[in-house]
Amino acid sequence: MRGVVIPISMVPGNSVIHRISPLPKLLLAGCVLVLSFSTRNPAILGALIVLGMVMVSVANIWKPFLRVMAILFPILLTLITLQSIAPAFPRPWTPIVSMGPFTIYQEGIYSGVTMVERATSMTIFALAAIMTTHPSDLFASLQKIGMPYVLNFILTMTLQLIPILQKEFTTVLSAQKSRGLKGTGFAAVLPSMVPVFVGAIERVQQLSISLESRAFGSSGAKTSYRSVKVSWVDYLLMLLTTFGTCGLLYWIITDPSLDWSRTLIFAPWLAITLFTLATIGFLIFVIIAIRVVLRA
Amino acid sequence: MTNPVIECQNVWHIYGGSVTAVQDVSLKIYPGEIIGIIGQNGSGKTTLVKHFNGLLKPTKGKVLVNGRDTGPMRVQELSASVGYVFQNPNHQLFARTVEAELEFGPRNLGLPEDEVIDRREKAIEFFGLEPLRHSHPYRIGFPLRKLVGMASVYTMRPAVFILDEPTTGQDNVTTRIVYRLIHRLRDEGSTVLCVAHDMILLAEVVERMVVMRDSLLIADARPREVFSDRALMGSTHLLPPQITELTLRLKEQGKLPQVSLSVSESLDVFAPLFGGKSEGGQA
Repeated sequence: MRGVVIPISMVPGNSVIHRISPLPKLLLAGCVLVLSFSTRNPAILGALIVLGMVMVSVANIWKPFLRVMAILFPILLTLITLQSIAPAFPRPWTPIVSMGPFTIYQEGIYSGVTMVERATSMTIFALAAIMTTHPSDLFASLQKIGMPYVLNFILTMTLQLIPILQKEFTTVLSAQKSRGLKGTGFAAVLPSMVPVFVGAIERVQQLSISLESRAFGSSGAKTSYRSVKVSWVDYLLMLLTTFGTCGLLYWIITDPSLDWSRTLIFAPWLAITLFTLATIGFLIFVIIAIRVVLRA
Repeated sequence: MTNPVIECQNVWHIYGGSVTAVQDVSLKIYPGEIIGIIGQNGSGKTTLVKHFNGLLKPTKGKVLVNGRDTGPMRVQELSASVGYVFQNPNHQLFARTVEAELEFGPRNLGLPEDEVIDRREKAIEFFGLEPLRHSHPYRIGFPLRKLVGMASVYTMRPAVFILDEPTTGQDNVTTRIVYRLIHRLRDEGSTVLCVAHDMILLAEVVERMVVMRDSLLIADARPREVFSDRALMGSTHLLPPQITELTLRLKEQGKLPQVSLSVSESLDVFAPLFGGKSEGGQA
């Protein structure tokens, strides 16, 4: 079952990225989010992806990162397939090739590619921040920047519950296999999903009682067991991130030549190749996912 | 000589390439044996027994079930021969009624409908689940839920029955049912492996004890020998049942001829001390 478990939780380590305070990492993830939605320039989005890869490399979290991307990326690829035949773009659209009832449009390929780049860049930075930050540090940092306590708590608890539920799912699946569970479609998954959800609901109920009995709802200032220290390096990084983002945003807004949607022409062979690869990639993912579920 | 139903040949299990949970364990389990597996938490007991129904595969070495290497076998395939009752029933139960829960295993084995019903009814009768047969498993109390978990594996009639902490969280009534279950399984010729910290249960029902410590199998002997070995028990930080400890101390002081494993057995042993006659342990 290890193959279908998405490990979105902290990966212990002692890299520079791990040691940086969560605040610059959160700020960077936020800035990338803003930048990604501000531009459709494939080169800028590509550069953000490369920067994210560098961060993942320095943090040495390739293995868990790729495990998440192996699941997310094929799903993202559907954007290319869908956008190619129905672009989220103002008309007129330039047809490249027709295949039966479907026509692949130049703008669609452009839109699909940039959407995939956009989602990938945001995911990389968000994952790098989550995978290199202890949930409690994340909690303390968000509190520091004024996130309401309850919202902050919900977010952090959710992050902490993910690995617990993943482990629970593996155990439940083992228990059902021990009772001869055979893979026959959704009916095979149900015996595992019910105990996991019931367990999760019970856990949440117990957690709420436990929280209340420990004065969760009391008024007054809240303190955290772990304190987040922000050094001058962190401030410098935040300053650089802010200035960098503002600079890029200014450039994106003021330079109309960055809009390549009408100028970047995909050669028909490239467009068809991209469309085919994206579709095949997604279909392979679907087939593997079904096989994994059935094998379970 | 009967062939072992389960055989471990120098089994190692290393989690994630770094945490050694089982080290070089060799063990033969014969049909009809009732075996207790004891050791501290984290000593490797559960990891070891999970190899017997294929939930885990050895990192090194071999596990044979009925002479077949479990390596290429799937859990579903092995489940017909080796039943595993998990410690937490919540991990097993999902159906809308107790009845449906009990039918799940036999149906997975592809048994005919009348056989499924017959097994279900026998399990309901034996485990005393009649008043709960239409109840949702999650709406009944934990001890009874645990019994439903055991009953759901019992209906599969595996040759080997693995019970993981069967008496944890159980009250006296349901604990007695666990005792009866083990005795019945023994009478039916099943092999029972009981992973437990409940030394009173083990002292009363098992015939052989396997002791694990720090991923190693450090003893494989009869319960009386294990409980009497102070060095062994001390090294595993386990305590024998109080009656065994009492009779062991009296034996060490030369006041008793042998160690008792249960209260009823001790009556025989104590009788000469109080000038009475042995009553054959039928107190």
